[in-house]
Amino acid sequence: MPIIDVHAHVGRWQFHLSCGDADDNLRLMDRYGIDLQLVSASEAVVHDAVAGNSALTKELASRPRLYGYAVVNPNRIEESAADLRRCLDSGRFVGAKIHTHYPGRLPGSREMAGAFDVVAEAGVPLLLHTWGREVLQLPDMVASRPGLRVIMGHAGGEAWREAAHAAASCEGLYLEHCRTAADSGRIAYAREAGVPVERLLFGTDATLIDPCWSLGVLRDAGLTPAELDRVLWRNAADLFGLEIPA
Amino acid sequence: MDVLYGPWPRHHRDVTLAEVRRRLEHSPVGGALALSTRGPLFDDRAGNEETLRDLAGCPELRPVGTVDVRDAMTAEDRLDELAAAGVRFLRLFTAEQAAEPGFPGYRRVVELALARGMVLLHDGDPRRYGPPLMGRGADVVFLDLHAYLLADFLLMAREEPGFRVTTRMLSGPDSVERVVHSVGARHLVFGSRTPFMDISPSTLRLRYADISDDERHAVATGNVEELLS
Repeated sequence: MPIIDVHAHVGRWQFHLSCGDADDNLRLMDRYGIDLQLVSASEAVVHDAVAGNSALTKELASRPRLYGYAVVNPNRIEESAADLRRCLDSGRFVGAKIHTHYPGRLPGSREMAGAFDVVAEAGVPLLLHTWGREVLQLPDMVASRPGLRVIMGHAGGEAWREAAHAAASCEGLYLEHCRTAADSGRIAYAREAGVPVERLLFGTDATLIDPCWSLGVLRDAGLTPAELDRVLWRNAADLFGLEIPA
Repeated sequence: MDVLYGPWPRHHRDVTLAEVRRRLEHSPVGGALALSTRGPLFDDRAGNEETLRDLAGCPELRPVGTVDVRDAMTAEDRLDELAAAGVRFLRLFTAEQAAEPGFPGYRRVVELALARGMVLLHDGDPRRYGPPLMGRGADVVFLDLHAYLLADFLLMAREEPGFRVTTRMLSGPDSVERVVHSVGARHLVFGSRTPFMDISPSTLRLRYADISDDERHAVATGNVEELLS
């Protein structure tokens, strides 16, 4: 069964980890049978969005199994809007990524609303870092921007119950459950809350987190083969317009 | 390592001992150290009695005791009861019991447990709880070490042969390897916190870890067997 990973990164992290360049991503993808991976630059997330996106453009040029998210910094909205257009024009970026922790802006803030407008105008899916009860703001933010589709990265983190109900209430919201603390039952809870399997996506947070972590969570979720088919790749292929290489 | 069963009010459903055993049966894990949630959340004495009673018929589960650090005046009696029952492991719940490293009750419990040669199964941030335990010959298994905090643990483990960490949150692509290759496999034990956490992430990570088969065996079973002996 093909696998598309919709939440990964390229680059080093400021922890005691050896992950670094895009070849580390490919090595782990080969180990676990991941066909395609959607990545943002760690440099863009934690330090300099424009510089990180630019460096990632070069990495993607020679690695067709990797597609990019352009990081949008809600604090630099004009600069980020222009940079997002540049990245999408390269043909190697398929979405936008917004973090909340590093820029210090949460859903509900004026800056985050502006960033959502930029992504909605670009017409690409948004991977949003979500970690807390602020996820309850998302249904209104998404519903008021027709066509916007937001992947709730980490499915709310500790607020995974609230994230499940938020996603259930809004067709533009998707859940992606990568996280180090593998609280059991999160996927079953989301299904029971009313999130259709068509809006569950597979993400790993590689290479910050080993992909086997998310694969293990899916294994323990007890999905049927048809449901796994949707979660592991088909939903992502539909959302991003991707084709699995032959 | 660190299996729990019973009611937990913050969770949307409870997991019984029977269900925990079913989950373990359907996993690669053959044995576990376990305790009832009654001890940490409600009544340490009754909880320990319940754990011992319940697990007497479960050959794959070894009982773990606990002491409520909010009532450390009774800790000596609790620990004597556990020692008399042959319990080697003491699980501390500093998060649920709101105990800081410097609190008198916490310090008293630790002092009494170490005097009895018990192994501490310790929750919380090792950067906060580790330093006060150094230089005391303590056998401690840190249950909540996140991969992000690994460097701080390794610095302590270099000096403390009795400091160990579980695999539960060592999710980085090389976290397991870094522990094994920098301070040795003896500092690492398998843990998942089943059934509160999924079990497959930890089993897969250990299976695919770039370490020798002997090191993998030590992490999976050998190190815990050594602590039990």
